[in-house]
Amino acid sequence: MENIQIAGKHGVNFIPTVNFNADTGICEIEGESYLEDTIEFYSPLFKWLKEYCVEINKPITFNFRLRYFNTSSSKCIIDILNILKKYKDDGGTAEVYWYYDAEEEDIEDELEEIEDFVIETNMKINLVPE
Amino acid sequence: MHYKRDINILDFYGSLDENTLLSYKGPIDTRILQVIGSYLEGLLKESPKAGRKVFKIFIELAQNISYYSAEKSIIRNNEEIGTGMVLISDSINHYIFVTGNLVKNDDIVTIIEKSEIINSLNREELREYKREQRKLPVGQKGGAHIGLIQVALTSAHPLDIEVNPIDDDYSFFSIAVKIDK
Repeated sequence: MENIQIAGKHGVNFIPTVNFNADTGICEIEGESYLEDTIEFYSPLFKWLKEYCVEINKPITFNFRLRYFNTSSSKCIIDILNILKKYKDDGGTAEVYWYYDAEEEDIEDELEEIEDFVIETNMKINLVPE
Repeated sequence: MHYKRDINILDFYGSLDENTLLSYKGPIDTRILQVIGSYLEGLLKESPKAGRKVFKIFIELAQNISYYSAEKSIIRNNEEIGTGMVLISDSINHYIFVTGNLVKNDDIVTIIEKSEIINSLNREELREYKREQRKLPVGQKGGAHIGLIQVALTSAHPLDIEVNPIDDDYSFFSIAVKIDK
């Protein structure tokens, strides 16, 4: 299974940096996600995760380090969490970590959004201040 | 000599007061998002908290216009992009962010209803409403409402909605948002 590597862009499309590694099971999304067409961008990521769950079937560590994301990206984050939750429910091992900048001025808003993700998906998210 | 002008430029100038930071009317494509977005990021560094909020609200509302405005412009590569207005004004204690665009009369009732629901809810209820709406399958216009809920959450003030009928088919829909400094 091939790895996914996408370099983030702060500019025309606000694309996050993506690293999905099939050898280590470590998947990372970081930066900014303000894309226009979120489905087009995230669909291959969903597909990769679902394939990993079936074909590789090893532990997944999912790290989010997103500074900005729009509401259509938040739907895609929910989809990722739902895939991981299902994997866990089916006996797989999946851990989610959310790294955030504790110094950020509007951090309460971000923590509230993460809490909403947990309520909505029932997937545990480990908060890591940095 | 005079070229034919369709607008009274002095009236337009006069209608924007001295607090105006930015005014834009035209197609809202990714380049405009980028240009205004980075302008805001730079400009608002002096008040980081409000700056992040203004940036977030700008992205949501501008993308709403880009997808859902009933007025479309054809730009490069025959791409069809929603057209609308963006205004930002700066007062001592807050920023006011205003957008305006054409909406089909068939859609306007739903938008007003959703906005009224948003304004009637407290923060916890609003978060719950966002989670409910986010669970719904992606409809053609579904995304816009979640965007509005998020804007209300980010601003932490009610949305100021105004609708002006244009003709039998279209209305001008405007939303103003307050962001504390």
